Amino acid sequence: MKDLRIKISGTSGQGIISSGDILSYATARKGYYVTTYRAFPSEIRGDGKCYYTLRISEHKALTATGETDVLVCLDEDTIYECLSELKQNSILIYDSDLVSELKETRDDIIKYAIPLKTIAKNIGSERSRNMVALGIVVGLIQNLHLEEQILKDIELRYKSKSQEVIDANKKALNAGFEYVKSTLKRIDDYDKVQMASTGAKLIMSGNEAIGLAALVSGCRFFAGYPITPATEIMEWLAKELPKFGGKMVQCEDEIAAINYALGASYSGVKAMTATSGPGFSLMQEALGLASMAEIPIVIADVQRCGPSTGVPTKTEQSDLFAAMYGTHGDCPKIVLAPMNVADCFYQTINAFNFAEQYQVPVIVLSDASLGPRRECVDLIDLDKLNIINRQKPVLKEGDTYNRYEDTPSGISPISCPGDLYGEHVVTGLEHTPQNAPTPEPHVHRMMTEKRFRKLETAAGQFSKAKTYGDENASIGIISWGSTSGPVFEAIDKAKENGIKVQALYPRTLYPLPTDWIKGFIKNKDVVIVIEANYNAQFKSTIVERCTKTEVLEFLKYDGTPFTPEEIYEEIQKVSKLQESKYSLTTNKHTHF
Amino acid sequence: MQTMDYKGKVKPSWCPGCGNHAVLSALRQAMAELDYKTHETAIVSGIGCSSRFPFFMSTYGFHSIHGRALPVAIGLKEAKPEINVIAVGGDGDGLSIGGNHFIHAGRKNPNITYIMMDNEIYALTKGQCSPTSRIGTITKCNPYAWTADRINPVLMALSFNASYVARGYSGDIKQLEQLILEGLKHKGFSFIHIISPCVQYNKVSSFEKIKEIARNLPNDHDVTDKVNAMKYAFSSDGLYTGVFYKVERPTYEERYKEVISTAQKNLPDNYSIKDVIKQFQ
Repeated sequence: MKDLRIKISGTSGQGIISSGDILSYATARKGYYVTTYRAFPSEIRGDGKCYYTLRISEHKALTATGETDVLVCLDEDTIYECLSELKQNSILIYDSDLVSELKETRDDIIKYAIPLKTIAKNIGSERSRNMVALGIVVGLIQNLHLEEQILKDIELRYKSKSQEVIDANKKALNAGFEYVKSTLKRIDDYDKVQMASTGAKLIMSGNEAIGLAALVSGCRFFAGYPITPATEIMEWLAKELPKFGGKMVQCEDEIAAINYALGASYSGVKAMTATSGPGFSLMQEALGLASMAEIPIVIADVQRCGPSTGVPTKTEQSDLFAAMYGTHGDCPKIVLAPMNVADCFYQTINAFNFAEQYQVPVIVLSDASLGPRRECVDLIDLDKLNIINRQKPVLKEGDTYNRYEDTPSGISPISCPGDLYGEHVVTGLEHTPQNAPTPEPHVHRMMTEKRFRKLETAAGQFSKAKTYGDENASIGIISWGSTSGPVFEAIDKAKENGIKVQALYPRTLYPLPTDWIKGFIKNKDVVIVIEANYNAQFKSTIVERCTKTEVLEFLKYDGTPFTPEEIYEEIQKVSKLQESKYSLTTNKHTHF
Repeated sequence: MQTMDYKGKVKPSWCPGCGNHAVLSALRQAMAELDYKTHETAIVSGIGCSSRFPFFMSTYGFHSIHGRALPVAIGLKEAKPEINVIAVGGDGDGLSIGGNHFIHAGRKNPNITYIMMDNEIYALTKGQCSPTSRIGTITKCNPYAWTADRINPVLMALSFNASYVARGYSGDIKQLEQLILEGLKHKGFSFIHIISPCVQYNKVSSFEKIKEIARNLPNDHDVTDKVNAMKYAFSSDGLYTGVFYKVERPTYEERYKEVISTAQKNLPDNYSIKDVIKQFQ
């Protein structure tokens, strides 16, 4: 077996996230690929449930969601919640000190009832139950040889705390490991799991990848307001920006945050902000200002369930309309959507380049399944990255400088406070190329066209919409953002079962890459748009702009990301329908 | 620099007799005195009659959106501290829609100057009540009476810990120039509240009326005594003008400089992005 899913679950405060993080770092540092998925409540401690899924594989995996091989439950409730996710012959580990008898069970899985509490108590503290459990996992998959690396990672994680904490955690881990070796009567096959190490790689979260890309792009100013699940971007940049002379400013609200960033960008410093739904709503007016005044800015929206406060820690792809059409007025901007952690990095690099080059706001649509997700990223070659800076005018004394010069590309060179002879006023009012406010009809028409012309100029530079799977397939899937990972895996599964499917995943969502989408739809008998929202937001846009033929939709809006299995089931359904030549009705709702 | 050098490309669009004309010329004079370079100065505003200000200056300018002059101005200052940043705007812009930013500007103490031209009315939208309108004021939006108490901007600035707080009025341009000059020179957040009458929509607080009630703060007022400053701001026996409060304390930029040196303290020489990436290995 070269592919393994481990899920650790329990109640908030039991150390689920710490143990998951430690295991994911150790796995990556050992040279295996790992991708993760975390779900956690808003409360820090209390009754909320925490889940940390790790998928360890020899080849790069695209999603952690799916059937579980090893389930470790530190409380009782999550046993029953996760029972159905287990594969046949997989392992369930639970604490026999807490659960004397399982109220529900399955006969086709292996159950290890282990006195985690007693083991932890015997070596010093009940609190280290999570580390005992982690030791047991490491012992079960002994042929991945993680034990040495994981001890190093425990040290790294707790180095800011005391040596006592480090020792206690190491001791607990060893106790779990030894329990498997000497006490546990194994009847499972997981000791046979073996994978080749594929060499050095990076491991980071989607949020960290966005922060890192900002730093690499030359961003030296971040303004933000704490909001789940985007705060990590702010925290990471707060730590790193000052090392490079940059600043992270925590503001009084999101309206202030985006306006701080606009002031900073106007001064000539690359700037960004990051937020989630509620904050993104507050930023809409200033986003229009950035568009009208042509000020480069990057906004990362780590989407969560909405509307309103919604479900702050759960994922959804429901801010697409807000990103594309949220601001009032005709507002040129660019919307990008990364599909995985590596893509968070590269799309944010693109975002800064587009913002600087075309002087527009650029929105990066991440989400709650992607932002906190820790995952392997191949080594980044910094020298190969193309970093673009805004075009500046060349001015000498006596020159007339028109900030909003109407050029063929739509791009007008931009001077900044401090630059000699480049003084000008930027404004959210409609203005002449000489930056004087005016209500003249012909000027508003001309300048609107000028601003949108930049997007036409930009269109040639957008990353090409990518495809995955068999190009001769008659079934096509269009997806965006983090949903693309499970889609590709479902396509692989379909292929194994003789169903040909091809996926299209545009990285640029606005302006909509209509040519690529039209071309893709034309070559398919049936197309399904898969996305995590109720309104079929991307599908509606496609139907409106790209096709007159029927397009199906497969939607999910329960706060959890798609799994490859459920997408595969949908593919099977569509494939059967196609075989029996049932006519498919337009706008057929197959709500999940 | 001469006062004339600060004249912008756009001619002031304010009504003849508007109080803002005096503020414009007082600011130009104060800047000339300090020899501010046009390319090193930025005037930032929100929306409203007085917020058109940047267009009438030859410096850099940012005419932003309603209520957001301060966040734009502070963002600019923090990103490029060498620029002289002056935020300008009206009472509605700064106390109503932008009130939240005013609070936080005071406590952050960025080295910028904020000039508030208070005409006690929303004039650009043709006369509705603002946070400084008087109870009982009648407009089209409150044809029977305005029913909310007034905000006292000087008191607000004092309680939010602005490090320079002054008040002037458009009828006394000499004093205005002095207050602005001192505000520009002040290291930290300087707030200048200027009663700037609207000749079109506010017949109550006219030049004549303000002149009647305006009086200088006593010569012996101790500008470091905040409680006393608050007493004068509260006073109902007239409208005090002059410098209420002035103290030096570290600016936001200075404090952040310390953050930067703490962050850089133990970094190896030539620390680069490559070193940053090591944390992910």
